[in-house]
Amino acid sequence: MTRHTRILMSVIYWAFIVYLFVPLVLMVVMGFKDSKFIGFPIRGWTIEWYTGVMQDAEVMGVFAYSMAIALASTLLSLVIGVWVACFLGPYKFRGKLIVFAVTCLPAVIPGIISAIALRIFARGIDIEPGMLAIILGHTVHNVPFVALVVMARLSTLPRSHIEAARDLGADAIVAFFRVTLPYLRPALIGAGIFCMLLSFDDFVRAYFLGGYDPTLPVLIFAKLRSGMSPEINAIATVVLVLTAVLGLWAERSMRRLNKGAS
Amino acid sequence: MAHLESKYVEAPCAPAKPAQSGKAARRSFWGSLLASDTYQAVVNVLLKNERRQFWVLAAFPLAWVFFAHLGPILQMFWISFLDSYPPTAGRQPQFTLSNWIAFFQEAIFVMPFLRTLIYSVVFTTCTLILTYPVAYFLAKHVKRQNQLLFLLLLLIPFWVGEIVRTYAIMIMLGNNGALNLALKWVGLIDRPIPFMYTGFSMGVGIVYLTSLYMLLPLYSALEKIPNSYLEAAADLGAGSWHRFRKVTLPLSKEGVASGCTLVFLISTGYYATPVLLGGPSTTVFAETIAGFFHVAGDKWPIGAAFSSLMLITTLGVTGIFLKLMGRSGKGMMK
Amino acid sequence: MGYSANDRQAVVRLDRITKRFGEVTAIDCLDMEIMSGEFITFLGPSGCGKSTTLRILGGFERPDEGRVVVGGQDVTRLPPNKRDVNMVFQDYALFPHMTVAQNIAFGLELKGKTRGEIDKRIGELVDFLHLSALRERTPDQLSGGQRQRVALARALAPDPKLLLLDEPLGALDAKLRGQVQVELKDIQKTTGKTFFFVTHDQEEALTMSDRIVVMNAGRVEQDGTPEDLYFRPKSRFVAEFIGETNLIEGTVRGSDNGAIVIDWNGLEVRGAAQQGPVPAAGQSVAASLRLENVQCHAERPEQPNAISGRVVHRIFKGSRMALDIRVGEPADAVIKVYMDANEAGRFPQEHLWISWDPQRLSVLHG
Repeated sequence: MTRHTRILMSVIYWAFIVYLFVPLVLMVVMGFKDSKFIGFPIRGWTIEWYTGVMQDAEVMGVFAYSMAIALASTLLSLVIGVWVACFLGPYKFRGKLIVFAVTCLPAVIPGIISAIALRIFARGIDIEPGMLAIILGHTVHNVPFVALVVMARLSTLPRSHIEAARDLGADAIVAFFRVTLPYLRPALIGAGIFCMLLSFDDFVRAYFLGGYDPTLPVLIFAKLRSGMSPEINAIATVVLVLTAVLGLWAERSMRRLNKGAS
Repeated sequence: MAHLESKYVEAPCAPAKPAQSGKAARRSFWGSLLASDTYQAVVNVLLKNERRQFWVLAAFPLAWVFFAHLGPILQMFWISFLDSYPPTAGRQPQFTLSNWIAFFQEAIFVMPFLRTLIYSVVFTTCTLILTYPVAYFLAKHVKRQNQLLFLLLLLIPFWVGEIVRTYAIMIMLGNNGALNLALKWVGLIDRPIPFMYTGFSMGVGIVYLTSLYMLLPLYSALEKIPNSYLEAAADLGAGSWHRFRKVTLPLSKEGVASGCTLVFLISTGYYATPVLLGGPSTTVFAETIAGFFHVAGDKWPIGAAFSSLMLITTLGVTGIFLKLMGRSGKGMMK
Repeated sequence: MGYSANDRQAVVRLDRITKRFGEVTAIDCLDMEIMSGEFITFLGPSGCGKSTTLRILGGFERPDEGRVVVGGQDVTRLPPNKRDVNMVFQDYALFPHMTVAQNIAFGLELKGKTRGEIDKRIGELVDFLHLSALRERTPDQLSGGQRQRVALARALAPDPKLLLLDEPLGALDAKLRGQVQVELKDIQKTTGKTFFFVTHDQEEALTMSDRIVVMNAGRVEQDGTPEDLYFRPKSRFVAEFIGETNLIEGTVRGSDNGAIVIDWNGLEVRGAAQQGPVPAAGQSVAASLRLENVQCHAERPEQPNAISGRVVHRIFKGSRMALDIRVGEPADAVIKVYMDANEAGRFPQEHLWISWDPQRLSVLHG
């Protein structure tokens, strides 16, 4: 590789970083602008928009609603995902590949189609649009990710650990709770935070499965349709900070997981 | 070895002395559980033999994936052949093909469909071209101990959701946005260019949203290529372009294939981004489909038919693409 | 707690065990009793069925035919958690999220012991195995030898009738291994537990065992004391597998003063049949001669069965010297000899004489 291409490459990398960060930085900056109008030039600064959002009962209610959905669907996804992984990981049986493909299905279907299919499905099993339907939708979407992460971790668990537990008097159930589950802990933390992010950030499923109460992304979408305003920037910035923190935490725990596996 | 004279053998796990009290006399939770008759009775039924253990473990996951993962898709197909859904009182839905036929009768249906496919292919290609050098730089030029840090820098924006990032792009591309400001400041333009509500703004948004899904598979494929291969090729006198064409590209093929598949599938599925960044001339099929679900419920079968059509098409396109990649990959290996 | 052979009772009975994996027969009709308090080693190359035997005893595999009886109870169909048998795993399988004390407590807790009993038992074991200072450490903070001792403590804690050890020294480096072998033997003696040890390392087996069972291709080749196996191998496989040996293949010419005379590439060598009938003249046989049982002489000795030879290789091995001595016309008529490295200086010439006690050349069956 010549010097020139090396320099060119690093320029492209940093340009890409700029492309990724500038819009987000601008969004945050605009949230401090002392004007209702989004755009340049900026003549004055204020934190009014942020304090306004913090005092806005509607926004805070929506925030709590989104959080509740994220927590519930994450918990469900973890339980189901672990169960699926513990079945699909170690056992060999005919048709395993089909079951695996069906498990991964929700992760590869384009968002809008998944949302529509779940909307029809929820109607079919008599779940009204609303919190329950969104939780179901997010759980279906998250289970493949949990299952994949847990299966990866599970494959590094030496069989002898389970056998040792059995040998010392544990039946299959006790061995699972006392040996397998603690071993999966880092994977569960990582996958859990990832599920929280997916659920908290999701728009399309929440939009089609939701009732009258919007989730945070749906609220931002609705507000955007009636025009941009620094208030939206403030909400979006809060979401951004929260997700970035969650993401960094997930990253850290996954990193530790990889270290533990090696 | 003095310790061997310990009283170990004479005191093998003496039976519990009744004198023990408090914490010392307590059994562990799991010990008590295993000792309880109720638990043992349940376990004897559930874990009677290997076969039953398998089914106890398998029943729920199988039920869940086939019911909740596959069920909605199958139901959507089913409904696409009904003349009305949700069913109204006193009327049995009839089988019909008209929902599927409707698609081909109206240009306002066909056009968004074709547009979606073309856009997605174009956006996927753009993402590939944009991220390949970035992934290459990361995998081959950044020192190994710094790679995590550099990768993390790329990851942070991707934890932020679709809507927030779409909004960020709106601020960026608006008539009073940063891009126009910058161009004006440099002196390239006097009047702002209307970037927004065009295919361009949509493209910038979707590439922005999807590039990580391209970057990560590319990075992991490139990272696996041993540097010695490239050195060997250089040693044999291959120029850098030749080296790229004959060594790097074929070896990163798997990453290209999975990255493109992911980005294509994801970009066809966006709804909010095209609505917010696109205009009337850039309506995509997701918007068309969504239209049938905003209004009265009797349009659901058409929406289901269109969704099914799109699902089959996207999965078909990726299937063909992966097959082509696989085949040419084998050809190159020879 | 001395045990003599007389007061031992069978603690385990393997009753015509057969185990197949698909087409492969891993164990072929194994019939055996394991005596209380003995250190028994199953020895053999990988795939010989020794590990499968261990896993059947532990309850991790179920035999296709036959019964396993432990302490008078038929446990053939019982899962591992219902058996009075504990195991030290090859990789120790210490639970990484638990401390040493918690690992040792694991089996006791599940047996329904109270906190007080458990603490007392852990105290005994950590004292006994020199683990007191490590109680609160997790397995990743332990050295290989320490882990091995924790695994042993954990398996001993529930006071099993039989302790299974699956190549537990394989992960240790060579220097430590020798020391641990002695320790392990001592622990077994002190506790009086029945140890069922599995290994492919013949030296390890010879060092520790009261009794060695050599397996090959699912069958028992020989079952006896280490001395039996070393000096009186019954089969060619055992002779070759245990220690280094000179394998002599030839035809029986007859007998002379109780010794069997064998024609080996035209040379006349004398040996003895250890067990079974004396082979008849004209029969082709194999015989084993240990390297250290060969004497070298600079001059022709008095013995009638001395052979002259020529040194083709001298291999210095530190404490001793290995000599390859060609004794006949064909290139493969070579006898390997061990001698003291200092002594080797007495044979500077290529030419020398060798002899051996005919009782030391064991004529083998099969």
